[in-house]
Amino acid sequence: MTITHESADIVIVGSGASGAAAAWRLSFAGFKIVCLEQGRWIKPEEYPNAAEDWETQSRGTWAFDPNVRGWDVDYPLNVEESCIDPLMFNAVGGSTIHYTAHVPRFHPSDFSVKTLDAVADDWPIDYDELEPYYDLNDELMGCSGINGDPANPPRKERLMPPLPLGSDGERMAGAFDRLGWHWWPSDNYVNSVPYRGRAACNNCGNTGLGCSRQAKGSTDVTYWPEAIKNGVELRTGARVFRVDTADNGEATGVSYFDGDGEVNFQPARAVILAMNGVGTPRIMLNSSSESHPGGLCNSSGLVGKNLMFHPYAMVTGFFNDGMLTYKGALANIIMCQEFYETNQQKDFVRGYSYQMVRSSGPVTTAAGLMTAGVPWGEKHHGAFTARFGNSTILAVIGEDLPEEHNRVELDPKLTDANGIPAPKIFYKLSENSRRLLDDAIANAETALKEAGAFETLANPLLRSSGWHLMGTARMGDDPNASVVDRWGQAHGAENIFVIDGSVFVTCAAVNPTPTIGALALRTADYIKRERSDLKS
Amino acid sequence: MTESEKHLTATDRLNLAVAMDRIVPAVDDLPGAGEMGLGIEAEAIAERIPRYREAMIRVLDAITLDPAARVVGGFRALEDDQQVESLKAIEAAMADYFGDFVHLVYTAYYSDARVHSRIGWRSGAPQPAGWHLPPFDASILETVSKREPFWRKT
Repeated sequence: MTITHESADIVIVGSGASGAAAAWRLSFAGFKIVCLEQGRWIKPEEYPNAAEDWETQSRGTWAFDPNVRGWDVDYPLNVEESCIDPLMFNAVGGSTIHYTAHVPRFHPSDFSVKTLDAVADDWPIDYDELEPYYDLNDELMGCSGINGDPANPPRKERLMPPLPLGSDGERMAGAFDRLGWHWWPSDNYVNSVPYRGRAACNNCGNTGLGCSRQAKGSTDVTYWPEAIKNGVELRTGARVFRVDTADNGEATGVSYFDGDGEVNFQPARAVILAMNGVGTPRIMLNSSSESHPGGLCNSSGLVGKNLMFHPYAMVTGFFNDGMLTYKGALANIIMCQEFYETNQQKDFVRGYSYQMVRSSGPVTTAAGLMTAGVPWGEKHHGAFTARFGNSTILAVIGEDLPEEHNRVELDPKLTDANGIPAPKIFYKLSENSRRLLDDAIANAETALKEAGAFETLANPLLRSSGWHLMGTARMGDDPNASVVDRWGQAHGAENIFVIDGSVFVTCAAVNPTPTIGALALRTADYIKRERSDLKS
Repeated sequence: MTESEKHLTATDRLNLAVAMDRIVPAVDDLPGAGEMGLGIEAEAIAERIPRYREAMIRVLDAITLDPAARVVGGFRALEDDQQVESLKAIEAAMADYFGDFVHLVYTAYYSDARVHSRIGWRSGAPQPAGWHLPPFDASILETVSKREPFWRKT
């Protein structure tokens, strides 16, 4: 028997980077809002970096990969047809719990790649339109950094100074300077000084494993406290499996399983989907009805299509000066955008960023995470000693281009614990991306050697790198070529919105979280401004 | 009985210890990983991480079934270099499982306080201690700040 709840004005599905931002913004406007999250609240003391066996936990129960982690609230993914594994987290705060909080912005050119480079498509919006929402998201999440980056447009004063570069960061910066290449201290949603009641980072190094200190800006500690104070109901343990629609195609609410396995129905005047580039198309494809054949708002046939990751290559440099490179935030140091734009002399279009990544603890050093592990046997100890605390990684974030054959479908057999079809991922690395990564690897080796590395080791494609899930319900003005419009409102259903990374038209060569947050805030402002009809 | 339900036998445990010694041999004043008694820790970790458990079971089965180990006393009776060759053959035959098994051994070994002491690693949780780093010094931007803005105009 279905449990039917009191109607809401707006039901938001997902409490991560986008759902939290939208809930917070709308909470000031008098809407009755319910947010459904399949995960739960996680207490700061539960995070692995407060535990002695943190490295063991990071390889099991706190792994980035839900197929490895296997929590009850996770859903399985069929990755047999993908060379990259999607990574995500299911809890209040979503994947901001385990992201490293490295938060560069898109460049203005990223919104116009078709115009500029004759590839993919232009976004229906531009950087200027999004800029105030980047600023607002930075303020709420707490952004450390410094102005003046010559690779990016000027922006508002950063709210906190940059995180410490450390001697290893300074070494890398010096190498870039000598090569005449760009570099700049990273923007981070990690506190370098106390900010809004949250402590400053103390450089423990594990920004990717949740922050027991709450120095990292995950949405459970940034947006949610105020949104809840303003009256938003955040309902955990609620696994949505369908957006329900009327004959006219409009949403009537969403159906979900609660923690006891009971089916619930949450009626609402509008539905906002805020999961991620895999979770959102999964639920849209699972919401087929007479008014939405082939999936929710899928008249274009593009729901689930154009899946983009940032395919990562990792180049590790090994040094012999004992800098102890595990001290400091893992991946929040500096980035290089010397090769960000299309270079006509190259055999690929678009470009890439480098994100400097530190080393980690002894288990991670031995077993490897982003690079190959240490060999076993007689040569083990020598190799371990050479690497431990002596390595720096340049992570290559390459711009992936949208291709329809890269997609999310519903698996015909695999389901989650509630019987909801699991996603099946189809992803092949394009020739363009391969060439781009190869170029980036060669340049990274140059930079690391300039920094003093006696040896470099490249991982040409990190399989476990699907941190960024984008493009599967793309934004556009043409209903035949996109799923949602410039405001995130679905073509063909005026009370259904998508606000997560699914709406990306292209993915740039930077981490997507600040762009996701900015887009969500912008859609929320549109609803506030234009959709008072959704208010009861 | 499925792989995940299988329990280790006494022979499995002895083989596990020897295999661990070959994977992480003795160094300085520390014996190999097996002789340090870390098989118990490896089993405990495997109980928490299903793929490690499956890898351990499959590798130990392969050790038992390896033709080279069909001598009186089995795998443990082989010379050290013969044990290494046996493990290399198993690695070649089941690379993924063997890789996870090696990671399991590393996890047990590098979680041990005696090992931490040897390699100069501070045992315990990363928090609340963290690490001290000097604050950011903007003077390092002197060179790059002189560069003209170069983002692509639209």
